[in-house]
Amino acid sequence: MEIEEHVMLFITFIAPVFIASIILYLIRALRGPTIPDMVIAVDAISFDIAVFLAVLAVYFKSPILISCVIVLMLWAYALDIYVAKYLESKDMGG
Amino acid sequence: MISWILVIIGEILIAVGAICDLIAAIGMNRFPNFFVRLHALTVGTIGGAFVPLIGVALLSLGAEFLGVYRFFMAGASIVSAVLLLFLAPVGSHAIARAAHRSKAATVHPKVVDHLEEDRERGVVV
Repeated sequence: MEIEEHVMLFITFIAPVFIASIILYLIRALRGPTIPDMVIAVDAISFDIAVFLAVLAVYFKSPILISCVIVLMLWAYALDIYVAKYLESKDMGG
Repeated sequence: MISWILVIIGEILIAVGAICDLIAAIGMNRFPNFFVRLHALTVGTIGGAFVPLIGVALLSLGAEFLGVYRFFMAGASIVSAVLLLFLAPVGSHAIARAAHRSKAATVHPKVVDHLEEDRERGVVV
């Protein structure tokens, strides 16, 4: 079997696992009793989507997709810092 | 031959990462309070994001069908994996500290919370 068919078949099996974990994180994000719960759920979702994006970049054979992974990770980090600043001193700062 | 080895190793790492991610997602829903869920977050972030990104890097190195851009993909995914190692711990620590200081998240099944006692005594800011 060619490498390409092997990789494509493998990714079609792995994609539902990533989608299932995104849905489970989403449940925690919507249900989370406190604000920090929602923040870490959204954090985990964005890292998970970033990895799913990297896997899809291989699947769709479009290398430009992989540059969004870095931006998405920085965005998740910025969300953490902003909410942490807001929770501590009640101002977003800057 | 070498490309087959790289592809197989990459796929194993991606599979391990996907399983870690699923376990972390289940853990995130079943853990009692915020501070225990931080463990699920770390499993989901390092095990579920760093490991698959290294897997994608190896996979794209081995996959010739991607053409010459596969080196760009391998490099970008390694850079984002290393970047993740910097960002995830700092972000989760910042939110955990803010949650504890602002009492936004309560320690529900609590035996003893020394940090809270220290904070009341003023030893810790």
